Amino acid sequence: MRLLIVEDDPKLADFVARGLRAERFAVDIAGDGLEGRRYLDTYQYDLLILDLMLPQLSGSELLRHVRRTRATLPVLVLTARDATEDKVEHFEAGADDYLTKPFDFAELLVRVKALMRRTPVERTDILRIADLELNRLTQQVRRGGKRIELTAKEFAVLEYLMSSVDRVFSRTMILEHVWDQSFEGVTNIVDVYVRYLRRKIDEPFPVQLIHTVRGVGYCIREAGPVCDPGQE
Amino acid sequence: MNHRSLAFRLTVWYALLLSATFALVAAGLSYGLEQYLRSTLRDSLRRRSVQVQQILAQAPAAVVDSALAEAIETRVAPEFNNRFVRVTRAPASLVYRAGAPADRSFDPALVPLQTDAWPAAVAVRPIPTAAGPMMISMTPVEAASGKYLIELGTALGPIEALQHRLLRLLAVMLPVLVVCAAGGGYLLVQRALQPVERMAQTAERISVLNLEERLPVAATGDALQRLSTSLNHMLSRLRDSVSISRRFLADASHELRTPLTIIKGELQEAMAREPGGSELGERIGSVLEEVARLEYLVSGLLVLSRLDAGDARREWADVNLGELAAGTIEHMRLVADDRGVQLQASALAPVTVRGDARRLKQVIVNLLDNAIKFTPRGGVVGVTTRQHEGFGLLEVFDSGIGIPPESLPRVFDRFYRVDAARSRDDGGAGLGLSIVRSICSAHGAEIEVESTPGSGSRFRVRFPQPAEVAVGANAT
Repeated sequence: MRLLIVEDDPKLADFVARGLRAERFAVDIAGDGLEGRRYLDTYQYDLLILDLMLPQLSGSELLRHVRRTRATLPVLVLTARDATEDKVEHFEAGADDYLTKPFDFAELLVRVKALMRRTPVERTDILRIADLELNRLTQQVRRGGKRIELTAKEFAVLEYLMSSVDRVFSRTMILEHVWDQSFEGVTNIVDVYVRYLRRKIDEPFPVQLIHTVRGVGYCIREAGPVCDPGQE
Repeated sequence: MNHRSLAFRLTVWYALLLSATFALVAAGLSYGLEQYLRSTLRDSLRRRSVQVQQILAQAPAAVVDSALAEAIETRVAPEFNNRFVRVTRAPASLVYRAGAPADRSFDPALVPLQTDAWPAAVAVRPIPTAAGPMMISMTPVEAASGKYLIELGTALGPIEALQHRLLRLLAVMLPVLVVCAAGGGYLLVQRALQPVERMAQTAERISVLNLEERLPVAATGDALQRLSTSLNHMLSRLRDSVSISRRFLADASHELRTPLTIIKGELQEAMAREPGGSELGERIGSVLEEVARLEYLVSGLLVLSRLDAGDARREWADVNLGELAAGTIEHMRLVADDRGVQLQASALAPVTVRGDARRLKQVIVNLLDNAIKFTPRGGVVGVTTRQHEGFGLLEVFDSGIGIPPESLPRVFDRFYRVDAARSRDDGGAGLGLSIVRSICSAHGAEIEVESTPGSGSRFRVRFPQPAEVAVGANAT
């Protein structure tokens, strides 16, 4: 799988590339719009990560060029603007998805994988980790065979954490997934819910499953204190 | 009528000056008329005295009184001229006295006799009589037949009557004139001040949100026109500096986003390499927490700059504040429970306003978050929505620690904290309430706060309601 990152900030491009390479993607970096176009015209890529603010040739122009030459190439746009009208513009210009800076690498990885359909959307009805079991159909949670009552939001948080065992979810990711952006910055609403969740599914049992990654967020895993915020 | 208004004061001064002028004119007129009439009278009395004098002077020494009387009667005809004539020979014998005048303005019998020494020369003086004051000219004459005193006079009554009539006329006319002139003056002053009034109304409407608007320029070519153009120039400069500071805010929060992404990404990666619980890991975690706060701050600033720029109304729709509040309260309930604060949502009437539901929700979330944050365990936080006098009202109240009066005007300012130390512990950036206010003004709503330290605060947002919505709500 070969990816092209067109990003004028070398450090940002570098850190995204490193993370993606660790995920065994082949990654090329172009520093401006013209170079990006040269790369795109030369090589066959499976995905394009595109910053919209570029020197030489703007991201929007490059996007139009891509849509003329390779209509099916998935494009993930990185933008510093998150106004809804901007988003509409990105989609109209041919972006498949967008990510607003500052983003979490984990979020970027989710989007990249979704776009490349590398991981087919596995909608398993039952999620499991250790002796914890979450049934999406019946909305029931059991641990060690014992039924645990959760509120709708607690269930949503747990389901999100369990959707990818071992991955660290940032508070922002959880917030946007379970609530909406209105709650951004509001006192620890995520922390409060995770605490209630822990009280129900962790505290009565000897093994802790939900882990806090300081400064990052939460992850669910069977053992070991550290979850990897980028890689799985 | 406003008694301190410029128009009123100008009119009062104008009326006072006019009254004083009129009073002077009236006094002058009356005095002048009196003087003129008296001097005319005096001249006429003298002329007639001379006629009588001639008769006396031409009479022979042995003339009889009746002949003299007849001559005077014929020559002067006092009754028809309404004149009083009396001729006395020294020492005290009455030669002739005219009868009652045709107009009965005096009674000749009541004119007192000249008892003192006769005047040496012609004298004219007013003399009071029982029938009214008279003007009498006394002329001593030395004739062949003896020494005579000619007294010739007329009643002053008609002059006084004329004077009184004039004064009465003036007393009625002048106040009427003053009132008319003052009324007219008031209207004129008001008309002259109308451009000022229009400028004031426009100036009233101009806020940071519509600095494009300009005052109407009064094309009067005077101080008023200069005032309006220079105020407009000031508005232009204000708009420029506001837009510079806004652009700076927007640019700065934009530019911070890429470095923040890198810092966060690199730190998270470094963190992943550290074994759990290591000291370095802890420190990186601590830095990451600050990065998260910075991130929140930057996104808050960006929200503010976008609201300043007049966030597009493209996403506006009819929003039911009551429903929105009820849903938001459910989301916040656990946070309130966690702090031991009771969340009340009892009085949520359906209130429809026009706006961006996402932003309006942010208003409720931020107000609730703020209320919960500053309400101690066991306290109450509540939300109400209702229609009131054509407005949609949203209130968030708490039984918290309250806000000291000196801080009230500043709670909506950016980065303002009532109690810096404590709210920073709670992760407050000091932007929540200013975002609330910006969203409110973007929706044409007003927000106000009242608070009693120690017993709680109440934030009230007043939304304008679209006419058809308000009517619909009243009908149900």
